[in-house]
Amino acid sequence: MIEFMFALAIGMLFGIGVFQLLRRDLIKAAIGFAILFSAINLFFVAVSAFDGEYAPYVSNVEAGRQTSDPLIQALILTAIVVSFGSFSLVLGLVNIISLRYGTVDSNAVNNLKH
Amino acid sequence: MGENIFVLGTLVAPLAGAVVALLFAKNNHAQRLVGLISSIVAWIFSTRVLLQVHQTGVQTYELGSWSPPYGIVLVADSLGGLFAFMVTTIMIGGMLYTLHSHDRCMTYPVFVPLFLLMEVGLVGAMLTGDLFTLFVFMELMVLASVSLTAISDDQFGLEAALKYILISSMGTLFLLLGIGAMYAALGTLNMADMARILLTGERPFLAPASALMLLCAFLLKSAVFPFHFWQPDFHTTAPTPVSAMLSSIVVKVGVYGIIRLVTLLFIVEAPLLQRWLALLGIIGVIFGSLGALRTYNAKRMLAYSTFAQIGFILVGIGWGNTLAMIGAIVYAFNHAFIKSSLLMLMGVVASYTKVKTANFASIVGIGHKLPPLAGWLVLVGGLSLAGVPPLNGFISKLALIRGGVAQQDWVNLILLVSAGILTLIYMVRAWQQIFQRAPILETTPAKETGDSLLAPMLLISICLILGIVLAEPLLQLVTETVREIGDPNTYISAVRLRLEGP
Repeated sequence: MIEFMFALAIGMLFGIGVFQLLRRDLIKAAIGFAILFSAINLFFVAVSAFDGEYAPYVSNVEAGRQTSDPLIQALILTAIVVSFGSFSLVLGLVNIISLRYGTVDSNAVNNLKH
Repeated sequence: MGENIFVLGTLVAPLAGAVVALLFAKNNHAQRLVGLISSIVAWIFSTRVLLQVHQTGVQTYELGSWSPPYGIVLVADSLGGLFAFMVTTIMIGGMLYTLHSHDRCMTYPVFVPLFLLMEVGLVGAMLTGDLFTLFVFMELMVLASVSLTAISDDQFGLEAALKYILISSMGTLFLLLGIGAMYAALGTLNMADMARILLTGERPFLAPASALMLLCAFLLKSAVFPFHFWQPDFHTTAPTPVSAMLSSIVVKVGVYGIIRLVTLLFIVEAPLLQRWLALLGIIGVIFGSLGALRTYNAKRMLAYSTFAQIGFILVGIGWGNTLAMIGAIVYAFNHAFIKSSLLMLMGVVASYTKVKTANFASIVGIGHKLPPLAGWLVLVGGLSLAGVPPLNGFISKLALIRGGVAQQDWVNLILLVSAGILTLIYMVRAWQQIFQRAPILETTPAKETGDSLLAPMLLISICLILGIVLAEPLLQLVTETVREIGDPNTYISAVRLRLEGP
């Protein structure tokens, strides 16, 4: 059941994220970008968080029982840091674009189309 | 074998340079010197690593002494070592150009640190043996290059940077999804460990899907046909040394990743992937060459040309036989030198115009203001790009065509050769427009001074040396490389996985 809920949540986040990323409003696009990264982080949680029965690196684990995977936390933390960096860079770019062009409508920001 | 500190040094030298350059934020000239020095140090380290790889085999460094597959390991095999050597060599050219450039964006205190961070990302992506670390380094490279383009003197740089980061982040998402799928299926992130499990014949349900997602991410990074539309804008509007790096070595990260995918990780799926790569490559060759013919801007012409040249490399990987792989890797190596020098030359030409633009309308006949050497350099670079003997472009085209003959794929061969002729047409036409035509005085106001020709001169002379003196040694080196990556067990055993429990 929990797998199904995870799959549903990841799918919905992906759908919302892609929809937002394709909006004309650049700020909404940037937020869609953040939502997509959350979907990925949730995907990482879903693929391995609930395998084990015990916390990793504890000594009183009964023989034959499985501990959960410690690595995935490190991965998600790194992914969060990277996505935060990119997200703030995108917002910074959108901010300068809004100052320079006076709008955040992506149809108006089209000077590259000669 | 064993703990080779130089593998780490190749990565740490530019990183340390970036930090030191930030300390000199007030003194711009010192910053540029720091950049040049640290890129030279990185070059020395990577040369040493490459030599050691060819003397004693694959070099590794276990970060923090955590043994693989649990810790992160840096692996310089002959492919990664060669690509890292290429990156560090061309980076020296970029730094040399920065040293004598008059662009306003290079006076910003963040320019040199970002430039060096881009090098860290590139070298790291090519030397890491861990798929997740590859993602981190690639993202570092993307963020640095986006910031560099956003602060460009070109007013459209900002727009191109936003366009690229939104598209590239989709590629990053696919890369992460692919990595997550691999981790879910195989329970490891170490590339050697993954290759070991996949070699045993086990085919988890998620492996083909993850192969496709990783392939899409790498194709996006090297701007191959369905994912190419950001590339001409982004490469045109970047500051000159940055666009030279983007068009020559940054696109090679994707090529490197694709070679790793088809030779190390997904050997069973490789024939299917390679069929698609050849198709996408040939589309890139045709449309890139045609796009370069009809464009209005010299830098944009070279960006389209990069699109075509990456197509050549992908067709080589797609053919997949030994000779074609040799051709593809030699092509990737030589193209980096030719394209970076040509883009720098166009940057020099643009720096002589009043408004600093490389539009053909503004640079017609500007050649008489430039030193006479510039015309010769552009001509040599252009002929080399088109593959005229005795230059290094000829060597790489010859090696690639040998692979095609071995594969007996005549249709693609004819298309490749005709695209080579198109390259000759647009490069010679650009040269004539800039250096042969009489200037239109009203529309081409020119300055008396511009950027220095030192860096492109260095790179063009490397092109000449690679074509005349070092052609045979390079081919031998790459032949050895292809023999080594043909057997994934070399890579797997070199990493020395410690699979039994603690």
